[in-house]
Amino acid sequence: MTIAAKALGAPSRAEDTTQESQLKVVARRFFRHKLAVVSVILLFIIFSASLLAPVITTFPRDAVDVSSSERPAPPGAISSDGRLHILGVDHLGRDLFTRVLFAARVSLSIAFMVVLISETFGALLGALAGFYGGRTDMILSRINEFMLTIPQLPILLIISAILLKRDVVLPLPGFVNKLLSALLLAPEREAQKVVVLVLILVIFGWLSAFRLMRGMALTLSKQDFVEALRAVGASDARIILRHIIPNGLAPILVNASLSLGGIIVLESALSFLGLGVQDPTPTWGNMLDFARAYMFKHPWLPLVPGIPLVIVSIGFNFIGDGLRDALDPRLKR
Amino acid sequence: MTNYLIRRIFQMGLVILLAAVFVYFLFNISPGGPLAGIQQQQRRITREDLARLRANYELDLYWPIRFTRWLIGFPTGPIVIGGHELFANTPVGCYLPRYDESSAGNLQPRVTGCDDYVYLSELPRLHPPIKTSKGILRFDFGLSTVILRDRPVSDLLVSRLGATVELMSISLLLSLLLGVPIGIYSAVKQYSRFDYFFTTVSFFGSAMPTFFFGLLLILLFSVFPVFLKDALPWIPRLPPGLREAVRPYEIASWLPLVQPGSFADRLIHLLMPVGVLTFFNMAPWSRFVRSSMLEVMRQDYVRTARAKGLFERVVIMKHALRNALIPFVTIVVLALPGLFAGAIITETIFAWPGMGRLYYDALSRSDWPVALAFIFITALLTVIATLIGDILYTIVDPRIKFS
Repeated sequence: MTIAAKALGAPSRAEDTTQESQLKVVARRFFRHKLAVVSVILLFIIFSASLLAPVITTFPRDAVDVSSSERPAPPGAISSDGRLHILGVDHLGRDLFTRVLFAARVSLSIAFMVVLISETFGALLGALAGFYGGRTDMILSRINEFMLTIPQLPILLIISAILLKRDVVLPLPGFVNKLLSALLLAPEREAQKVVVLVLILVIFGWLSAFRLMRGMALTLSKQDFVEALRAVGASDARIILRHIIPNGLAPILVNASLSLGGIIVLESALSFLGLGVQDPTPTWGNMLDFARAYMFKHPWLPLVPGIPLVIVSIGFNFIGDGLRDALDPRLKR
Repeated sequence: MTNYLIRRIFQMGLVILLAAVFVYFLFNISPGGPLAGIQQQQRRITREDLARLRANYELDLYWPIRFTRWLIGFPTGPIVIGGHELFANTPVGCYLPRYDESSAGNLQPRVTGCDDYVYLSELPRLHPPIKTSKGILRFDFGLSTVILRDRPVSDLLVSRLGATVELMSISLLLSLLLGVPIGIYSAVKQYSRFDYFFTTVSFFGSAMPTFFFGLLLILLFSVFPVFLKDALPWIPRLPPGLREAVRPYEIASWLPLVQPGSFADRLIHLLMPVGVLTFFNMAPWSRFVRSSMLEVMRQDYVRTARAKGLFERVVIMKHALRNALIPFVTIVVLALPGLFAGAIITETIFAWPGMGRLYYDALSRSDWPVALAFIFITALLTVIATLIGDILYTIVDPRIKFS
């Protein structure tokens, strides 16, 4: 099309305006999915709130109001120096609004890190397996199948229990630590523990991306354009990275969006059971864990971290749904 | 088929062995070791105390020996062939390691040598067979270290099995009885209000975290009735946890007292956990049945059945449903290991004394033999269930042939 357009010169412009760009078509289809759009807006609000957390909140993350007698205190409570606790304070007297925003930052960062690492890793391995086939494919696929059969949650729990009890800290270069602690708004020591959890969640995170990309690579590598690429002397790495992976990216994108929701729930579940992110670092999961102990006297407590958690989880699922509708070529217009 | 079966069973054995090795190494080789916590908590622990503690966890043995003892209960002493003790003087471990002085207060002091070796002939004395397991491959999981100290892990597992089977079987049955008809009806009446409603519900079911849903139920049925006692005194209040009550209690003033241990008591305690589990099983199942029904109903033979003038009910129940349920069988079979494993999160929230909660307790209280046993049995059951699912698939669908 582009070559033809160049050759014909002027008329091509008229044609270009009638032919929408791929991106526009996708965007138009996505915007038809009302719930996905609403989710994008809601998630955008939560995202920006968590990004601006230190600006919005008026309390430090771990500040304990010593003179306040009521702990936990309901939303709208006034601190001893006359400031407003918008969502009340928790059992130690820490401002819940502040902690929920900081928790959003931690939970979302974990989810994004996990999904980024595991989708990249899974897609790369999947492309390798599908492209080369043979023994590479067999070994990787068997590992994948094996991990799909073993029960996930118990294994994740035991791994994080063991690593938690032994206080494992990864040897990361200094600038990575600084970057992480800036991202999570937490001291470096806490940030390092979060990294351990991220890696634990990656263990099972790459499975679906692997399967998707392997399937795509299997069909793509048998197509004529790959043969043509080989004929012009493209290296395997170039074929995989520039042609196979970009062509199989659409399902990976949908999968990433769906698994963002899944990972947030999984991380919260681990933290809720006390085997994920540990107390002073707040996440929605460990906030719910504390809320559980006090919910009989203070029933609003579990709702404070629970509602954003549900919104984010359902939101990512709707967005994934919308993306699937938008990117699926079978439903083309 | 026979060939396939033999190969699959062989593979299964390999997977189980791999699972055992994986779990063991995860536990033993990961940094720190089981004693890291103790060394950290009690700085003034003497070298002899530490040696005794190490021996207690069999850490005085070298890890290959430890591993085979854990796996198959071998060796327990010198190997006797025709009255001769072989390898009796082979060192199999080190009772008193010599630590590097400079790394003394560290988390893991560097070991430079050994002051007192453990020899194979000493094994029966230092680690008597009563205290060591016959190996997990022979289903001896050793002794519990914390929860029921020095009692066999299997006793503990058996004592919790009843509660889990009760909870899981009821909820599995309920989600089958609800999920399958809902799926069928949604497919038959595609795009109807009913379909939209349940598609939305199952969508929420797949995105909602179980633990928050459980907490919401407790809020709704156990907490709010207390707060609303004056305004709405007739609202019943459900107990938020456990399997049975200890003393008589009332759930609403207009109902008689519930006696602990009675049928009503058991039923009332089951309501919320069963509700949560049913909801979360039902959601994906009804979705699965719906889509597989929709696919089958597009097939030519269903049109043929209709064209023959059969009643719509016969077409759906006899011609479409039977074929739609074929792939569903495998999914249901995969849920069966849950009958043993229970539901970790739900059981924890509702303090249900089942397997899932036992596992959670074992992890949080560091009762590793219990945790390892749970993981091993669950993995074993999952592998078996997968195999059964695949075999069932060929039985219910003769079109599928394995090579």
